[in-house]
Amino acid sequence: MKKIKVALAGQPNCGKSTIFNLVSGIEQHIANYPGVTVDKKTGYFTYDKHRIEMVDLPGTYSFSSYSLEERVAKDFILDENPDVIVNVIDASNIKRNLYLTFQLLEIGKPVVVILNMMDVATRRGIKINSKKISEMLNCPVVEASGAKGLGAEDIMKCIVETSKNENNYNEFKINYDEFEHHIKNVESKISKTNALQNRRWLAIKALENDKTIVDRLKEDVIDIEELIKKEENSFHNNYDKDPASFLASYRYEAADIIFHKTIQETNKGKETLTDKADKIILNRYLAIPILIFFMFMVYQISIVWGYKLTDYTWPILASFKNFVIDILPEANFTDVPMITDFGIWMVNSANALMNYLPIFFILFALIAIMEDVGYMPRMAFILDRVFRRFGLHGQSTLPLVLGGAMVGGCAVPGVMSTKGIADERARMATIFSVPYMNCLAKVPFYTLLLGAFFKPDMAIMMFFISTITLFIAMIVAKFITSTILKTRETAPFLMELPPYHLPTFKGVIIRASQRVWIYIKKVVTIVLAVAIILFAMLQFPGLKEESKIEFENKSILALNNFDKKVKDSIYYEEINTKEEVIALLNYYDNYRAKRMTISSNEAAKALDGKFLIKNEPFFKYIKPKRDKEAKKINKALRDLSSKRKAILREMKNEKVENSLLGMTGRAIEPFSQFAGFDWKINVAFLSSFAARESAVATLGSLYENNKADNMRAEEAMALNSGYTPLHATAIIIFMILTPPCIATMIVVKMQTNSYKWMLFAIFFPIFLGITLASLIFTLGNTFDWSGFEAMSYFYISVVLTTIIIALFPQKNQNWNGGLKIKNKG
Amino acid sequence: MTKTMQSDIKSLALLKNGQKAKIKKLHTKGKLLHKLLDMGFINNVEVEIIREAPLFDPMQLKLHNYHLSIRRSEAKLIEIEEVV
Repeated sequence: MKKIKVALAGQPNCGKSTIFNLVSGIEQHIANYPGVTVDKKTGYFTYDKHRIEMVDLPGTYSFSSYSLEERVAKDFILDENPDVIVNVIDASNIKRNLYLTFQLLEIGKPVVVILNMMDVATRRGIKINSKKISEMLNCPVVEASGAKGLGAEDIMKCIVETSKNENNYNEFKINYDEFEHHIKNVESKISKTNALQNRRWLAIKALENDKTIVDRLKEDVIDIEELIKKEENSFHNNYDKDPASFLASYRYEAADIIFHKTIQETNKGKETLTDKADKIILNRYLAIPILIFFMFMVYQISIVWGYKLTDYTWPILASFKNFVIDILPEANFTDVPMITDFGIWMVNSANALMNYLPIFFILFALIAIMEDVGYMPRMAFILDRVFRRFGLHGQSTLPLVLGGAMVGGCAVPGVMSTKGIADERARMATIFSVPYMNCLAKVPFYTLLLGAFFKPDMAIMMFFISTITLFIAMIVAKFITSTILKTRETAPFLMELPPYHLPTFKGVIIRASQRVWIYIKKVVTIVLAVAIILFAMLQFPGLKEESKIEFENKSILALNNFDKKVKDSIYYEEINTKEEVIALLNYYDNYRAKRMTISSNEAAKALDGKFLIKNEPFFKYIKPKRDKEAKKINKALRDLSSKRKAILREMKNEKVENSLLGMTGRAIEPFSQFAGFDWKINVAFLSSFAARESAVATLGSLYENNKADNMRAEEAMALNSGYTPLHATAIIIFMILTPPCIATMIVVKMQTNSYKWMLFAIFFPIFLGITLASLIFTLGNTFDWSGFEAMSYFYISVVLTTIIIALFPQKNQNWNGGLKIKNKG
Repeated sequence: MTKTMQSDIKSLALLKNGQKAKIKKLHTKGKLLHKLLDMGFINNVEVEIIREAPLFDPMQLKLHNYHLSIRRSEAKLIEIEEVV
């Protein structure tokens, strides 16, 4: 089978992705281009005995080297040397799209032009003579509509035929008149170069001062830079024009000629639907309320309703957990095999992350819809002014909202959605600010602390916590953009506001699934690796010998006690050995655990049936009904089960205390004591790094009263910890500032493509958190503030800082010059 | 550019909603120049101010029959001739 490599190029918003999805089906591969964070999408299809590999280049307006996307696109053409270039054009906006087409034709590779969105063009009364365009450009032109699913067959046929005729190809030339002899001069100088590309194209690009091309040519033609400078100067002296502007004007003129000869607009000047919609959506007074409404809906649908959806998906995960527990070796009373412990730990860690999948899928689908509709750049347009003051970008709105601008979001999709931000510095700043937003999994932790220490001020404390994060994110953004990110590339704020389009169902589903798949692949694997490390750190070195004996004695006592209680029962024969008692106890606990995940009557009956088959004699003890003897045993069994749990909990606490993680928690006590943290809090923070949900669990189990009473975690903590509300304030401040979890950090690594930045994203917030928590704690102790006062002062200072920064004039552009006088002539 | 010229120069940033103008010259270099050219800010092209953002900056333009948003700081670097 013959292989054909195809590069798919087009301007942003031309519907390139729908064409890509149309022809490549679901056999797609998505990765990063080496060294950069731009997506590399590759799709495959087979047509007429040809295996076609189609690479979706990033959308670019031009083929210069001034943005990351353009550099990636050009490097692909230079390095991979595709057989055919497919250029997707928005048929309803041909003139501007042809600007790129001319640049592609100049490369000297066979080009296939696809007129996409033909349906939109027809609706707008645009008549296109595509035959004539094909004749004028000397390349095949295919009419299509990605959204309506039209044209796939023609496109594939055209690609194969064009590649067959590769050698039958006439070089495409634009006549640049007075510039021609400069091109010839450079062309003759670079004739020796090893590059595979057309010499004329290389010469033109070099004269445009295209860095990628100049750098490549330098290897073969050492004095290329002087040569270009010379040609540029002579052109400038003769015509008072610089090459870049001149060439751009020429290409636009060429596009204009084609436009006028091949296109008839019957509805010219008529207001489009987009114009009408924009009058409302971008209206001065309505724009911001509408934006808030949309953001609220995204939040409501994905986070709130999505979370409700997990009520349905959680039983699936729970049954997976039960399945794993079933196949793991059972406990011999309090002697739990390590493999069982480990298996349950791993399943719990995985489930904590998998639980978010429905939320993420909805969220990613909603983002894809907003992207396709064309609302994203409008959102940036509306809010750019606010965010720019802090070194961010209008496009930072969505990531921050997803991260949790309201109470509880998730930093993972937040950081993932920074991808489209054109301004590199603002993009980096957004990546580092999103983790400060309120993570959903932190909320139970806050609730625990507020319930334990701030009962009367709970509402206002929650208000402080949920609003302060945005201010902190802004200050951090301002701080890092004016320090470590200062030299980062910025981009001019020139954003197209494309016409509104209805998204395609297939496109949205494909994109959402791809992003969820990336999450599963990268995040879950690494989080599980961290979970293994944490498990090891909690297991070793394990209990001391004397404690082991002590717990052993307690176990024997509990078992003897049980034996005494059931001795005079008529069923004693069935349970008079230790093995039998343990088997019954496991049977009982197992049943209880499964019964808890079931709510419907039928399922409960089915469960009963299953257990009845599993062990008929035992079943009467877990469901004694009217059998008095069995009832007695049931009572003793219940007692034994809760005793076992108490002993296990005690063992666990002692194990944690003696473990490597416990030691680490102790080792950092000298630093953390300034913030009032003892080793228990340190351990809770350390162990919650894999998933924030476990902070509450860890603290809960550390503070649980060892007596098996029914005290709630917050009561236990308030009573047993010896903390004051001021301690709690310091803990809350630290929790607000620390990064949500390892999953977020892995996404930061994905989006910045650097471990260095990932480490920065971990340690800078921790440093900031411990410093501020210590500061507030020390000040609070000195001036005898209550926890609530301390939090209020902290809040006020943060808000004031934000306002002061906002009032300062911003300087975030890296070009200067311009017109000096502003008055009208 | 000479001193006498300066007072006659009009930049795109001065236009009000609904006004149209022709691009005369781009007073910038490097990246911004290339970006402006790629987006179609070439000589003699007509631009129309559609609206300002709710917070007055950036603004929305129409040129070559498509819509574009641009910050005032960048619009200041674009010299225009008033048409209407």
